[in-house]
Amino acid sequence: MSLLTSLARLRALEEGIAQPIATVRHCHLAERPMVLIPLRMSGEAAAPLAALLGTRRDDPRLLVVTQPRNRDLRFAWAADLAAELLPYIGSFLAGTETVERKNSDPYERVLDAPQILVPNQAGIAFIRLLGRSTRFRRAHGPYPVPPTVPLLGRWLTYFGERATHPGSSLMTAVTEELGRHWASGQSGLEDANLAALTAWITTGPSDDAEDPLVWPPAGPATDPGFDAEVLAPAIEAGAAERITEALRGQLEPTWRLMWQAVDLLRELPEGASVEQRWEQDRGSFSAMAQHIAEGAPPQARRDGAVAAASRLARMERAQAAYEVQRAYDDPLVMAEYRLTGEAFAGEVVETEPEHSEGEGRSRKLRPLVVVKTDDPVRLAPGTALGTPQRRAQGAQLVEARDGLVTVKITKGMGRGKTPAPGSVPEVGERVCYTSLTDDFQGSPALPEAEATPWTHGGPPREYAPSDEDALEEWS
Amino acid sequence: MNRLDALRGTTPPKPHDARAIAALAANPGCARRALLDGAGIDKDATARHLGFPAPFGQSPFAITRGNAFEALVKADGCAELLRMLREVLELPVAEVAYHDVENVGAHLRHTHTRALIDRAARDEHDSGTIYDHPLLGLEIAGHTAYLEPDVVAFQLGGRFHIVEIKSFAVIDGQADPAAVAAAARQAAVYVLALRRMLRELGHDPLRVAHDVVLVCPENFANRPVATLVDVRRQLAVLERQLSRMTGLDRLVEGLPEELTFDLLPGEDGLPTRPAAELADALRRTTARYAPDCLSTCDLCFFCRDEARQEGACDLLGRQVRDELGGVASAEEALGLADGSRAPAEGQEEIARLLRTAERLRRECLA
Amino acid sequence: MGDRLDDLERRIDELRAGVRRAMRARDTATARGLRADLRAAERAWDALVTGGLDPALPNDARAVPPPGDVRAVFPHDNARAVSPPEGPGRLAIPGEALGGVPVGGAPSSTAAAGGAAGRQPGAGGRRGGGGLRLVTVREQAHQALTLLGVPAQPRLIAAVREAFLGGGLRGAQLTSLRRDEERSFASSPYGRPYYLCAALTDRLSPARGLLAVSTWPQELRMVGPLSPRVHFLTCAVAVAERMAGGHGVDAEPDSGAARLLARMARNIPGGAVLDIGPPDPARVIEAARAELAVHAERDTRDRADLARRAAAQLGDRGRLFGAATLSTIGDRAATGPPAT
Ligand code: SF4
Repeated sequence: MSLLTSLARLRALEEGIAQPIATVRHCHLAERPMVLIPLRMSGEAAAPLAALLGTRRDDPRLLVVTQPRNRDLRFAWAADLAAELLPYIGSFLAGTETVERKNSDPYERVLDAPQILVPNQAGIAFIRLLGRSTRFRRAHGPYPVPPTVPLLGRWLTYFGERATHPGSSLMTAVTEELGRHWASGQSGLEDANLAALTAWITTGPSDDAEDPLVWPPAGPATDPGFDAEVLAPAIEAGAAERITEALRGQLEPTWRLMWQAVDLLRELPEGASVEQRWEQDRGSFSAMAQHIAEGAPPQARRDGAVAAASRLARMERAQAAYEVQRAYDDPLVMAEYRLTGEAFAGEVVETEPEHSEGEGRSRKLRPLVVVKTDDPVRLAPGTALGTPQRRAQGAQLVEARDGLVTVKITKGMGRGKTPAPGSVPEVGERVCYTSLTDDFQGSPALPEAEATPWTHGGPPREYAPSDEDALEEWS
Repeated sequence: MNRLDALRGTTPPKPHDARAIAALAANPGCARRALLDGAGIDKDATARHLGFPAPFGQSPFAITRGNAFEALVKADGCAELLRMLREVLELPVAEVAYHDVENVGAHLRHTHTRALIDRAARDEHDSGTIYDHPLLGLEIAGHTAYLEPDVVAFQLGGRFHIVEIKSFAVIDGQADPAAVAAAARQAAVYVLALRRMLRELGHDPLRVAHDVVLVCPENFANRPVATLVDVRRQLAVLERQLSRMTGLDRLVEGLPEELTFDLLPGEDGLPTRPAAELADALRRTTARYAPDCLSTCDLCFFCRDEARQEGACDLLGRQVRDELGGVASAEEALGLADGSRAPAEGQEEIARLLRTAERLRRECLA
Repeated sequence: MGDRLDDLERRIDELRAGVRRAMRARDTATARGLRADLRAAERAWDALVTGGLDPALPNDARAVPPPGDVRAVFPHDNARAVSPPEGPGRLAIPGEALGGVPVGGAPSSTAAAGGAAGRQPGAGGRRGGGGLRLVTVREQAHQALTLLGVPAQPRLIAAVREAFLGGGLRGAQLTSLRRDEERSFASSPYGRPYYLCAALTDRLSPARGLLAVSTWPQELRMVGPLSPRVHFLTCAVAVAERMAGGHGVDAEPDSGAARLLARMARNIPGGAVLDIGPPDPARVIEAARAELAVHAERDTRDRADLARRAAAQLGDRGRLFGAATLSTIGDRAATGPPAT
């Protein structure tokens, strides 16, 4: 958390309402997101209890394990979940585009991809465990399960893993997304409570948010009081209807909050780089779909050492790219870098558009721009700079003194003797320069590493699921 | 009656269990908690009487599952446990002797545990391998807290190991880090108690291993799996906090003579003390609220409410507090940010940052 | 009907909230009252919503099984060889049909056992077959213990029954058995051919959660430090031998017998080659005997010493049920591991 966000939190505390910390939306928001609220049986690692899900707010589908200790019912529940999710996922596979790649074969990328919205991080972790507990099952042999169950498991595993990829929007926790755009007047820990966070953003803090009788927890854990007073007696009595209705009662308030959160996020204009990250999501999703279509085995129980290392590197790159992109997309995020002296913004007070360097044929246009800024610039002369106003351009800091910064434009000026109209900022224009560089922008068309054919980057450790995997208990 | 007992007054003391002692280390800076715990005050009852009941609760399903798992680990002469100890501690096949300390009456359990442990420490042969239901004691601020580790295992090499049985799952070699950390903190309490017992008996306390055996269900089945967990760090934190609690005298000295947190239980055991009066008494002690309290201390809602009324930055979490280094209240920080308040000495740098931050926010949101 | 359901739902919601509020304030008296109302409302709701179809009949309505609900507990030949321990008249008491305990005038325990069985309709009858004979809980336990040949915990007894003798017995049904037996012995010593009694610790107190048979020699009913392990290995051999003899209830790898043996096998060094798949009884027997050989001598010696002490220090009742007084063992002795 930066000082800027801390300040926003303090302001929120004082004013009794959450404060914006973003001016644009930094996540993709699907037209038709799949809202999914899973509940887990308390005390169990990954035993499902219920889920409320759907793509339309007026039409949620409730799936309940009416006898949570019954293993067969768990698999039946998983099959029901598959019957909802797999068609949704499949509906995106029809429309594709062909993407050309350098040094590699072209590939097919879906035009749009699914998006699953879960209340919180714990929900994502639970989805991942659900994937883990179902993907090795088999449709034949001892303990057969419906064939859709292992398939669902592979998809849930995929979505769960992709959710850890910075900037991905295929599956996100709405508390995380809300928290990225608003600062509440409570701690990050308390922000994980969807009801509390939504209240801060909309009406101001409310103690009701922590009262499980008013706002049941958004899962996957249920309220212990509900377990003791409602669920346990209903299970004991074998009252399936009562269990179903009780769980509906626990889930519906969260359902409303989820859609309220969707509305809140939709009101924000989309950030400029969101489209590009979504394109990567589409590429990744396409690769996974193809992987399954080719009959590849389910994801291994654990990454091999090589896979883990490359995954880590990939995540780090994605994280860096995500941070830079957000700063370029959003002045309020860029402000954090201005505060630390890695960026500055101000008015252009002087320009030398036709300034050039070199002689004869190697003579190049290097316009100079002087910016007047109040920001505390902490950049050394020679530092390479970029600017959100002209993303294709590169610049260099010449000198910074007394609130006046001289910048030399070094890239993107073309070959002409005079600059193209608009390529050099005019006096009076507001500009922002930063040392954050946008290297990744050079290769937006490249697919994710997951989409790289296995022949590139070395053979992955082939995971052969064993009988034991298939027969594993689910208790 | 000593001062600590006077703080508790006529309310019966609440014995500490390992979880409570482990939680002591969670917010070592809080004088309020140190005093209440030191005096053996029932914080849960106190919070409820104040109208701020703690948000904790355990699902009956979780409790049932925990009990069933422990029974499974210990069933059939600890068959599962022996298998795991043979795996992780290389226990020889002959080492299977089992002592159930609970075979003696409840009042004798502690003595019996001592006798058995002493025998094991003295004579490494024929003394036993698994001690079930032992009862250890640990002195907390002048009171002995009795603790029941799940199992103590004695290994041929002359080392004792605490065995901690938990029902959270280890999936593909990974478990919920928060759950593991909590288990390690709790196990450290047992290690410390057993070490102190050995020292009292004249043995080398370090014969209690700092590696505890954590037994959890593996993957999605009920099958137990054991892992060795190093609790040295947790031990160090715990020892520091306990030594701090023996220094409670200094904290008590600063308190008004007549101060008490007595609930004045009536005949039916229900508190009769006016809640507002009790709240006032508590406010005479210094708290150090942090959002972490929400999962570790019964008084959390009371202290959070207090922090809210004071507009304390602590409400927003340690990160915010650290970032604001030295600026305690929201009002003060905002005053520095909009320039309506002049920085005190030492606040110049943070004030400058806050002012810039404020200007940037205004500019971007205009 | 919709209106009534709506009303009931509103009432249930109010009551639930009330109960939970009371619980949070630890106002147990109010909570109890509200809870009773809540249960009534929930039952009414269940009844209404299922339209009398009865899948959710509340359990108290089933506490006494209807006469036609009597099921065969023993579908197998091996079980029939055991003669009924009590007169047939006793078995006609409905509460005992599915697991009552004949304790002679202890209606509370019969009712409890009957209620417990009622909560698991079908558990006793899962093996199907025509209703032939009724066997009391104590007799069922006796048969399992005889098969094992050493003192055992209720859960193992239940597992052995399920695997070889026909299921329907749950460990929980055995928890009060020992106390009932002791009471019966106290009122008329040796009035029964056998008692289900305690195994005794090195302090001559009853070992927690273990059941033994009174007709066994005293040494067999003593528990030395190595005995829990020896018991386990001996049980494993007994179970494996039974399996090897083709006595598993069915041959499926998932049968109760195979699961029981597999669970035991993996806790014996060399008992299981692979973690899954059906265990090999011969291998289990060999492995268990190999480890038994390590412990047997010392364990036998320990138990013989203890048995001599028991003979010297205890009276008849003590030798069967342990040195402690009835009141101390009553609560702890037969309840298995504590709920911590
Ligand atoms: S909740 Fe209050 S008393 Fe408890 S540790 Fe936190 S600040 Fe201290």
